[in-house]
Amino acid sequence: MPLPAVQESYSGRVNEVTLGGGTRKKTLTIGGAKTIVYGGDRAVTGNRPLIAIDVLDSAPQDWAPVLAEAYGNVLSDPAAWARKAVEEFGADLVCVKFDGIHPDKGNLGAAEAVAVTKKVIAAVGVPLILWGSGNDEKDNTVMPKVSEAAKGEKVLLGTVTQDNYKSLTATALADQHLLIAQAPLDINIAKQVNILVSDMGFPLESLVMFQTTGTLGYGMEYAYSIQERERLAALTGDKLMAAPVICDVGYETWRCKESKADLPQWGDAAKRGPLWEATTAVSLLQSGVDIVRMRHPAAVAVVKTYIDSVWGAK
Amino acid sequence: MIAIGERINGQFTDVKQAIADHDPAPIISLAKRQTEAGAAYLDINVGTAAADQEGTIKWLVEVAQKASPRPLCLDSQKPQVIKAGLSVCDTARGVLLNSTPLNKKSDPDVLNKYAEMAQSCNGSLIALTMDREGVPQSTDRRVEIAAELLTKCMEMGITPERLFIDPIILPVNVPGAQSQPTNIMAAIDQIRLMSDPAPHITMGLSNVSQGTSERCLINRTFLAMVMSHGADSAIVDVLDDALVDMVATVEMLMNKQIYSDSFLKAYRSVAGAGH
Amino acid sequence: MALSGLEIFKLLPKTNCKKCGQPTCLAFAMALAQKKVSLDQCPDASAQARDTLAAAAAPPMRLIAFGVGEAAAKTGQETVLFRHEEKFHSPSLVAIALPDDLSADAAAAKAKAIQALAFERVGQKLPIQAVAVINKSGDAGKFAAAAELAKAACKAIILVSQNPDAVKAALAHVKDSKPLICGATDANAAAMAALAKEAKCPLVAVAADAEALAALTEKLKAAGCEDLVLCLSTTDRWAEMRGLTQVRQLALKKNFRPLGFPVIAFANEGTPEVQVTRGASLICKYAGIVVIDTVEKWALLPLLTVRQNVFTDPQKPVSVEPKLYAVGDAGPTSPLLFTTNFSLTYYTVEGDVEASRVPSWILCVDTEGTSVLTAYSGDKLNEKVVGKAMKAANVETIVKHRKLIIPGYVAVMSGKLEEETGWEIMVGPRESSIIPRYLKEVWAGQS
Repeated sequence: MPLPAVQESYSGRVNEVTLGGGTRKKTLTIGGAKTIVYGGDRAVTGNRPLIAIDVLDSAPQDWAPVLAEAYGNVLSDPAAWARKAVEEFGADLVCVKFDGIHPDKGNLGAAEAVAVTKKVIAAVGVPLILWGSGNDEKDNTVMPKVSEAAKGEKVLLGTVTQDNYKSLTATALADQHLLIAQAPLDINIAKQVNILVSDMGFPLESLVMFQTTGTLGYGMEYAYSIQERERLAALTGDKLMAAPVICDVGYETWRCKESKADLPQWGDAAKRGPLWEATTAVSLLQSGVDIVRMRHPAAVAVVKTYIDSVWGAK
Repeated sequence: MIAIGERINGQFTDVKQAIADHDPAPIISLAKRQTEAGAAYLDINVGTAAADQEGTIKWLVEVAQKASPRPLCLDSQKPQVIKAGLSVCDTARGVLLNSTPLNKKSDPDVLNKYAEMAQSCNGSLIALTMDREGVPQSTDRRVEIAAELLTKCMEMGITPERLFIDPIILPVNVPGAQSQPTNIMAAIDQIRLMSDPAPHITMGLSNVSQGTSERCLINRTFLAMVMSHGADSAIVDVLDDALVDMVATVEMLMNKQIYSDSFLKAYRSVAGAGH
Repeated sequence: MALSGLEIFKLLPKTNCKKCGQPTCLAFAMALAQKKVSLDQCPDASAQARDTLAAAAAPPMRLIAFGVGEAAAKTGQETVLFRHEEKFHSPSLVAIALPDDLSADAAAAKAKAIQALAFERVGQKLPIQAVAVINKSGDAGKFAAAAELAKAACKAIILVSQNPDAVKAALAHVKDSKPLICGATDANAAAMAALAKEAKCPLVAVAADAEALAALTEKLKAAGCEDLVLCLSTTDRWAEMRGLTQVRQLALKKNFRPLGFPVIAFANEGTPEVQVTRGASLICKYAGIVVIDTVEKWALLPLLTVRQNVFTDPQKPVSVEPKLYAVGDAGPTSPLLFTTNFSLTYYTVEGDVEASRVPSWILCVDTEGTSVLTAYSGDKLNEKVVGKAMKAANVETIVKHRKLIIPGYVAVMSGKLEEETGWEIMVGPRESSIIPRYLKEVWAGQS
């Protein structure tokens, strides 16, 4: 019997954003969905989601053993780390996370950050994400230099917030990079940040949206629903909410008890942690996410398998 | 809210003069300004003064569609004038035919004519809930006519998404007309339930205040009231900032636009494009 | 979604006889659409009109129940595509597979293992609700034997076989447990429908796509089976996800009766990691029942937590009992912290305190389930509320010291809190993740 038609097309769509340029060996395009997740055939549901693996600018001190062991001795060498992430673990993108410049962590300076940036640019050919420490004052000093060092590579620069957006937006404009707009699990603030950035002349089509991500078991459903609402807004014509979406799965996942604790009633911790990360990533993908930042290679492998099984191997 | 910008109408002195002088500049300016203000369609009405209505509408259509990417709303009660406008209209971007009643004493077949013209270019149609007896006063009669309009248009291939029902608002200072706003809102409630998807609801908003004081205040307040009952379109003065602010606020309050602190600005940046 | 005015009007006699009290049939149809009148008021309405209207008024997705007693399970009756529109109603049932080609010992062991599975996190139980007996062997006898063994799992039972003889044999053992029969295909529809009807069990309709499913459910309904579950048998993963969304859209947005049923999906192949990630995506995207194979605890915990998260009610914050909690072996010299009774807040803080390995007391204050900042700005959290909570928990008898550690985000409460309680107020970190460092350095570092 013929099925009634369900609404499969909308007046709006999610923007397509192409990452990478300059010396990058390839570019990658995200976004482009013209319907809800799984709302039609592959042609209208947008580009396949991508995995970015985190590379820290200096060796992390507090990583869970299960996670640190997977990387061995590359944790103090960002270039080697980036190569391993791409060549061995299959990252689509590398996200350099500048934790080391945070006053509470290493308080490294712009010179060190620029050196790391150049090393990673030289080490790998995939498009890059360069993400600040979260300390506004330090980021405003260092990230413009980092951005300049990456000029021409069309990186995704992170992040701008409602209270701190002018410096990085101006930088991204000057160096022609893409920008990540951040909100604290608040869709209204997300829209406002996009307006503020757009008012400075930064093109909405070069934005990617980020909601601070709760991990599985610790509020994942908040980001999940906000992201579903963002997709619906894009589809019903709200150009201010039409940017693709990125989630931070790796960092958030490995903070929680369930990834690390050795409890017999919860089974083998060495397997539980990576699967906790992979499950968080796959669940969030169902809400229409375009890039997931991840850490454990075993988790990355599982998520890759999942993405290939649904979107087809690349 | 699908705003149909009302300014390019020969009843306004500047447009009347432009038509008389064959001067495109005022038309171009109005087309551009209404587009920037968020109009989804630009109404094109030659007014009553022009001698050669068919020639005039052709000229207005050509000037306006060159000045703005928006689809046009061809406004005339005469099928031959609509036809003339269509002959030079870029209907690929969409077009709205404004308007036809269910039937007329002088032209019992008028709905068919308009529907055929709309269907031939895959355009949309505004249909008035009135018939040979005139404008109905009661909610029920408006609903009945709406049902007939909807049924007949669907039979001719015009899907509800391309049909705009206009429940006809009269000026509130006309004797007996003050009960109309309430009746219209009740009629809109029912028309929204008639089909899935429901047809659009539009109206010539400025009619409600024709000849009254406080025209702008009455216009935008009435628009807010009918929007809350489900009216999703109106023929309005989009250059009235207070009116557009009100529309943005109503859409936010009805959860149609996500709130942001700059929601008024946000609405203007997305309104108009993409209908 | 009910019928529109015009759709109702088409079902009416269109005589305008006015017996219903309305001037025209159209007016009566519109009144019906607004639920202001009942069809009973039209004495001339046809039986078909009555049936169609009754069907339209029923919930868009049927509620299907199987299993009995403590093992009773239900699925269906969903109302929205997105949880933020309202909420999802029936948390997905997770079923563990018991293939019938295991040795008797292995099968018995697995059934026992399933029965023993018990998970709890953040104060909520996360149950495994069903066991799916799978006719891998193709043999009716083996299937029946496995079904008998499955009873030891004490869960609702799903019989997975497309062979009517095998299902019949298994039903002889487990009919009283009211199993879900999975399932009927176009080829075996008549035989399976007869079995399901006789056993009074719900039945799964299995077909490759939504269109085929719709035709099959109509066939099964005509054969007397109304309690149906749907299953998409395609191996194309995209088509499966698309199909699940399409079925939900048709059921809810179009009130399409042939697909107004919950869905069962199978994720029981591959490694536990593959099963769990697939299972998670199916739980998020509309599978009412998910069948997996692994019994590994490290694999089941994340899957069940996905269900826990996705099925929370967005409109009701989950809250924790407000009282004094001991973390580790807390004693009279242990630090005392307070936080709110919003579940996410409390369990995040508790987790970080536990990770610090410093035994501590957490005073969980009743802020009606709101987070620290929300509670503070809504004045649900102030010095009086905290003082009251401290008294109610008798903290003065629990700890010898008089120091209270408060969340960094409400440092501004310090002065008033000191006045109210007389205790020394220590301002803790803003981020819960810094608590371990705070307790180890600041608390322990006091002379």
